[in-house]
Amino acid sequence: MKKKLDLKLTGYWNLISKNGILFIFLLLCILLSFITPGFLSWANIFNVLRQSSIVGIMAIGTTFVIIGGGFDISVGSLLALTAAMSVGLQHHMHWSLAVLVVLIIGALFGFFNGFLAAKIHIPAIIATLGTMTIIRGLAYLYTGGYPVYVEAPDFAFIGAGYLGPIPFPIIILIIMVALWQFILVRTRFGRYTSALGGNKEAARLSGVKVDYYHILTFVVGGLMASMAGIVYASRLLSVTPLAGQGYELDAIASTVIGGTSVAGGEGSVVRTLIGVLLLTIIANVFNLMGVHVYVQYVIKGAIILSAVGFDTYSRFRQ
Amino acid sequence: MKKDNALLRLIKLRKSFPGVIALDDIDLEIDRGEVHALVGENGAGKSTLIKSVVGAYKKDSGEIFFDNQKVDFNSPAQAFQSGISAIYQENSLIPQLTVIQNIFLGAEQFTTLGIIDEKKIYQQYLEITEQMGFKLSPHEKVRDLGVAEQKLVEILKALIHKAKFIIMDEPTASLSANEIEHLFKIISELKSKHISILYITHLLGEVFRIADRITVLRDGKKIGTALTKELDQEKVITMMVGETLKDAYTSKFTGSKKPQNTVLKVENLKRKPRVNGISFEARTGEVLGIAGLRGVGKTELSRLIFGADKLESGQIFINDKPVKIQSPLDAVNYGISLVPEDRKKDALILMLELYKNITLPTLAQFTNKGVISPSKEYAAAKQAIEKLDIRTSGINQITRYLSGGNQQKVAISKWLQAEPKVLIMDEPTQGIDVKAKVEIYSIVRKLAESGVCIIFISSEVPEVIKVSDRILVLSKGKITDEFYQGVTQEEVMRTILKKSK
Repeated sequence: MKKKLDLKLTGYWNLISKNGILFIFLLLCILLSFITPGFLSWANIFNVLRQSSIVGIMAIGTTFVIIGGGFDISVGSLLALTAAMSVGLQHHMHWSLAVLVVLIIGALFGFFNGFLAAKIHIPAIIATLGTMTIIRGLAYLYTGGYPVYVEAPDFAFIGAGYLGPIPFPIIILIIMVALWQFILVRTRFGRYTSALGGNKEAARLSGVKVDYYHILTFVVGGLMASMAGIVYASRLLSVTPLAGQGYELDAIASTVIGGTSVAGGEGSVVRTLIGVLLLTIIANVFNLMGVHVYVQYVIKGAIILSAVGFDTYSRFRQ
Repeated sequence: MKKDNALLRLIKLRKSFPGVIALDDIDLEIDRGEVHALVGENGAGKSTLIKSVVGAYKKDSGEIFFDNQKVDFNSPAQAFQSGISAIYQENSLIPQLTVIQNIFLGAEQFTTLGIIDEKKIYQQYLEITEQMGFKLSPHEKVRDLGVAEQKLVEILKALIHKAKFIIMDEPTASLSANEIEHLFKIISELKSKHISILYITHLLGEVFRIADRITVLRDGKKIGTALTKELDQEKVITMMVGETLKDAYTSKFTGSKKPQNTVLKVENLKRKPRVNGISFEARTGEVLGIAGLRGVGKTELSRLIFGADKLESGQIFINDKPVKIQSPLDAVNYGISLVPEDRKKDALILMLELYKNITLPTLAQFTNKGVISPSKEYAAAKQAIEKLDIRTSGINQITRYLSGGNQQKVAISKWLQAEPKVLIMDEPTQGIDVKAKVEIYSIVRKLAESGVCIIFISSEVPEVIKVSDRILVLSKGKITDEFYQGVTQEEVMRTILKKSK
């Protein structure tokens, strides 16, 4: 009897800890709608979503990498390089071709990260610390240290256009979240990703090509970072080599706040999106309240530690 | 209670795990300065006993008296502080530290300034090594030492921490003959210092050389304690395996078929140091048992055939065709599956749902262009659960929360969908209760009857005899004997125990 009750309680606890982020998010939204009139207006909702779109697209890749048991801190630098290139390349080719080239470059850097982690066995955080520095250096080399510009109204549509009343970056974000959530839960690649993140040796001994899929998760990470770079470039039409600094942290923070386990194996793209929105809203509130940006750093760090700490400590208790 | 000579006294020590009583009211006394041997087959409860004494496991009931005081340790560290030192097969030293740093870890001497007093420590080190007659280089890192030397370091560490009672778990497992002699000398040295030793082993030859008394465990029960001089090897083996083997657990299957064609042949497989040239053939519909003590290369052999480790030399044939197996995926494609020994580490993804584990090796069967069909997948998982009678709340249950026996069934069921020609099972009944064991035996037999070749690897002789058509005995990485159905447990046990010495 007692055992049954315990089981029931664990059930509720699992439900809450799995969806806790959703509860917090809804609670915060309700609270804010009382405090700030117009919070739930379409204009504001679109605003929050648009602000979230760049990190949101990047965080999809981060989610895959972390579920697969890896880590990638090079995506912020990769955003800078790919954003700069998507602007710079347009001086030599049509913008659509530039976008394509940039996506391929992003995927290649992801492949390189995955290769270092899976084949050379460098711990992923160290491997991507190395490539983070290399790619940032390449961004400086490519731009010569100055902002690069482009005049391109067609290209600008990606980051600044509207489809009806909806800003186009939001549409990219929503489509990408839906697509990658589907890939995560309904395809072999998605399943193998969580299998190898959960227990790489067991996956290998089940006949899964673990190195191949491990690398593939990093390719997704690089691809989504470069897509975020394109949206970033198209929105600003001017890119400095300093772009995207700290974005990797926002992407990782959103992912873990969304309940993806830092130990790998479990996670969800949709919940990562909620993590991104939550961070965006918190930042907005702080700005409205006039909280200094330095203080915001401290608080953001504390939020990340709390989310990760909750995950690792409950794992330790098991 | 009388003031007596017992250093450690266990009264009705009891420990159970879900579905199995690992220690059934064990009484045991170990005297001061005594070398006491604890023997029994794998799964008899030897390691559970140690772990319950030192506090690695929490006992269910019973009392432990150590040095005339009632104790209830919460952790091995606490037991260590009180003077009980356990030396396990795997050493617990810190490889990056030097010999002397390891020995004095937690017992460092400090100068008045709080700096480690290297001189004093070295002095103490010299004294103790001289007493014991050791020669070690104190500033060598432990990772550069051989196994035997590491054992010595552990013994020194125990002495420096003023151990009164040292538990040695299979201490000679990877030692050479000379090293074993040295160890025995050290043990008599310890004995003369009035330190008690609990010596746990399979190897009866050793026991008769060094032990004062012998205690035999079987199936979590104490069968008896007697002075060594009152016993002989035959008697101890009988105590270990039991005289009558009538119950269902040990009853043999009947009605095996005539051997069919050879499906798997391996020739001179080698991977040092554990696999030293193994050749055998296995046939369709046959259960080929591979028996042997722990550490003789059984697991390594299974991993070689499955492509989990790289072969150094040798050749594998499937249906008489030479094949190259370089990865588990290759093995799966040739129709070979492996249920590994350590299900939690190597077989299951504990955090994932049951159905995801069951369908992992055969996911391609349920996908179309990489997209999974949930209905097909769920149906297959449900079927697997029914087929092996896996007790669970449903296919969505997280695998971690299943009992050991049910987890093992999951580890088996994931391969059935792949319809393997050869299914290798490495210690498939380890750590599961008797009822689940019997179920696994019947699964093994059914699979064999349906034409699968099963390689059943186990260090528990009774079960190997129970399920196998043919038995190979493995010792030091080589096959030493072959038995057929009808062989007695004692014959096999004797071969194993004698070959290992």
